[in-house]
Amino acid sequence: MTAVVDAPDPPGQPPRSSRPPLWRDVRVIRVVLQVAFAVAVVALISYLYSNLVNNLTDQGIRTDFGYLDRPAGFQILGSDFRAAQSVSDALLVGLSNTVSVAVIGIVLTMILGIIVGVASLSSNWLVRKAATVYVETLRNLPPLIVIVFMFTAVILRLPRIEAPAEWFDLAIWTNRTISIAAPSLDAGSGGFLLALVTALVLAAVVWIVRTRHNARTGQPHHRVALSGLAFLAVVVLAWSLTGRPLGIDRPEVVGRQLEGGWSMSANYAAVLFALVIYTASYIAEIVRGSIQAVHKGQTEASLALALSGFQRLRFVILPQAFRIAVPAIANQFLNLTKNSSLAIAVGFAELTQVTFIVIGNGNPAPQSILLLMFAYLFLSLVIALFTNIVNRRFQLVSR
Amino acid sequence: MRWLAVLAVFVLVLGACTGDDDDAADTPDAPDNNGEDNGDGPSETIDLVQDGESVLASVQDSGVVVCGVNDAVPGFGFVDEDGNFSGFDVDYCRAIAAAVLGDAEAVEYVPLTAAQRFTALQSGEIDVLVRNTTWTASRDGGEGAAFATTTFYDGQGMMVRADGDIGSIDDMGGASVCVLSGTTTELNLATVFNARGLDYSPLSFEDNDTLREAFIAGQCDGWTSDKSQLAAVRSAYPEADGGPESLTILDETISKEPLGPAVRDGDSAWFDAVNWAVIATIQAEEFGITSENIDDFTTSDDPNILRFLGEPDPEEGTVADPGLGLDPDFAVNVISQVGNYGEIFERHVGPDTPLGLARAENDLWTNGGLLYPPPYR
Repeated sequence: MTAVVDAPDPPGQPPRSSRPPLWRDVRVIRVVLQVAFAVAVVALISYLYSNLVNNLTDQGIRTDFGYLDRPAGFQILGSDFRAAQSVSDALLVGLSNTVSVAVIGIVLTMILGIIVGVASLSSNWLVRKAATVYVETLRNLPPLIVIVFMFTAVILRLPRIEAPAEWFDLAIWTNRTISIAAPSLDAGSGGFLLALVTALVLAAVVWIVRTRHNARTGQPHHRVALSGLAFLAVVVLAWSLTGRPLGIDRPEVVGRQLEGGWSMSANYAAVLFALVIYTASYIAEIVRGSIQAVHKGQTEASLALALSGFQRLRFVILPQAFRIAVPAIANQFLNLTKNSSLAIAVGFAELTQVTFIVIGNGNPAPQSILLLMFAYLFLSLVIALFTNIVNRRFQLVSR
Repeated sequence: MRWLAVLAVFVLVLGACTGDDDDAADTPDAPDNNGEDNGDGPSETIDLVQDGESVLASVQDSGVVVCGVNDAVPGFGFVDEDGNFSGFDVDYCRAIAAAVLGDAEAVEYVPLTAAQRFTALQSGEIDVLVRNTTWTASRDGGEGAAFATTTFYDGQGMMVRADGDIGSIDDMGGASVCVLSGTTTELNLATVFNARGLDYSPLSFEDNDTLREAFIAGQCDGWTSDKSQLAAVRSAYPEADGGPESLTILDETISKEPLGPAVRDGDSAWFDAVNWAVIATIQAEEFGITSENIDDFTTSDDPNILRFLGEPDPEEGTVADPGLGLDPDFAVNVISQVGNYGEIFERHVGPDTPLGLARAENDLWTNGGLLYPPPYR
C-alpha cells in the first residue's frame, strides 16, 4: 500500500493525483478502524452493564452502594472491629490485613530471596545445591498448596494453647497466636520519645557528614558504626535521665489467648510465611539471573583491583545486577500482593475473605466484587509507583 | 497487517453481540416477566433472554435438574468414597427431579461453599439450592432468593470438647470459636456473644474440611453451627482424636434456622413445582403412604388420597390437575423413588443413623411437630 503513496509523481503532474481514494487511504483506514473498535468496546461494555443492572433489578437486588453503611454483623479475628460497625469498616479492616501481608511479606521476601539467590551462585557445593533444591521445589508448587500446607502441616501442628512453647520469656508460640516480646513505653515518656527523635536526626547528620567526608577525601567513612554509636549514646543517656521508661512487654497466656507483645494470629502467620517462601524462590531466580547477566569482565576487573569477595559483590556486581532485577522483582511484589487473596483457604480475614463474607450475608455481589477489584488495582498501582521510583534511581546510577 | 487484526477483533466482538441478539429473537413469543414494558429497547431484549421461559420449562427441556448442594456435611449433603452424593438435602434434589421429570436420578449436583451459593443461584448456574440454607428476610429480599417449604427446622448450637471446663456459652469468655464464613451462624455468633458481653476470637473458614482440621488441632475452643450439622460432624469425628464421645453439643440453642430449598425470585412456575415436590413428601407421611406401600393406596377409598396420587376420581372419573405444571402423578414418582418425609429423615439423620437426631420439631403437626402440609386439592 505504501508503494502507492510513495510512488514518485510523474513530472508535470500535481502530487495530489497520487492520493488513493478514501477507502484505500491507510491513514483514513487506521482512524476509522480505531473509532470502530472504540465504539464496539463501549457498546459491549454498556450492553453488559445494562444487562447486569436490568437482571439485578428484575430479581429485586439492589444496584447501589447503600449496603456499605449497614452494620456488618460479624467480627474479624485479630482486630477491634465489632459487629455493630459498618460493612465499609469491615472492608477497611480486610484491606489493612491485605496491606499488612503485602508490606511485611515484601520485606521478608526480599531478604530471603537475595540470600537464596546469592547462595545459588556460591562456590560451596552444599550451599549451592540446597539453594537450587529450595528454588526448584517451591517454584513448581501452586501457591495455594503452599499456603494450605503451611497452615495444616506446620502452623496447626504448633503446640496447643494449653501447653504453649516459649523461648526465654521472649517469644511464645501456639497454634492460635505467635507472639514475641515488644518494647513498651511507660506513660508520660514524652521526653524520651523526643530524645529518640533527636537521636535519629543526629544519626542521620553523622551519616551525611561522613559520606561527604568520604567523597571529598577518599578516607573510609565508617558511617554505619559512627552513626549507630551516636544514636545509641543519645538513647542510653536519655533513657537513664528520664527514669528508664522503656520496658519489655512480654507475651503471656491469659485464659484461652496469648496477650501482650507483638503477636500475629496463626492464620496470618501461615499466609505470610507461605507467601514469603513461595515468592522468595522467584526472587532468588531473578537475583541469580541478574548476577549472571553482569559481564564477566566486571568480576575480572574487580579481581584485578584486589577487591575481596564481599566488596566485589557489594560494590561491583550487585549494583549492576539490581538494575537488571528491579523490574522483574516489582512483578513478584505484585504477585505476592495478589496471591494474598488465597488466604481465604485458611481463614485469614484479608480483603477477599471479608468481601466474600459480606456477600454471603445478603449484600449484593456485583458491587462488592467491583470494589474488590478496584482495591487490588489500587494496591498494585501503589506498588508499581514505588518500584518505578526505585527503578528510576537505579537507572540514574548508570552513566 | 495490524489493522487486519483489529478488524478481526471487531468482527468477533460484533459476532458475539449479534449472537446474543439472535438468542433473544428466538423466543419472541415468550411471556415477559410481568408485562412491564418501559419502552426501553435494550432492557426489553434482555428481559426476554433472562425471563423468556421458566426454569420449569428449561429443566423439562434439558431433562436434568441442576441442584446446588453441600458436599461435606454427613447426613445432609455428602460425597461418599465412590463419588456419589447422598444425604437429606440430596434426597430433596432427587424428590424435585422425580416430581418434575419423573426420574429421581436426573440430577446434576453442584457442590457449593456457603459464600458461593447465592451468586450461583442468582446467575442461573444452578436451578435450585438445597444446601442447609436458612430462610431469612434479607436473603428473601436482598439476595433475590425465594424459599420453598422448610424441610428441616434447625437451631444453632455450640460444640466443645467434653473434657474442657465449658458447660455453657457463659463459660466461653475469651474463647476462640470456629465458624463457617458467610453464614447466618457467623452473624448469630456475634449477636449472642455481644449480647452477653463476652469477648471471643472468631475463626471463620471457607469450608468445613479446613474448619474441622483447625478444630481437631485445637485452634478453637468451640465450633458453632446448626445443631444438625454439629451432630453430623460429631458422628464422624475420628476415633484417633477421641471419637464422638470426646465432644459435647451444649444444650443452648441460640437461633432459629429453618432450612429449605431456594429458587430465584420471580419464577412462580418453578417455585410452585419445587414447593409442591417438598410438600408431597410431607403430605405422603400424613396419609401414611411410604415407598413400600404406595401400591395399596392407588385403590384407596379416600378421595383425598386418590387426588393426591393423580388417580381418577371414583365418581366423576376425572384426574385432578391443580395447574402446577407437573404430571398428575408426580407425587407417586416422588414417593416411590425417594420416599415420604419420615423415610428420608430416618434414612439420613434419624435415630438409627450416626447422627441420631430425634424428630422433635421436624415431626408432623399431628404429633406435635411443625410439619403442616397445605391441602392438596
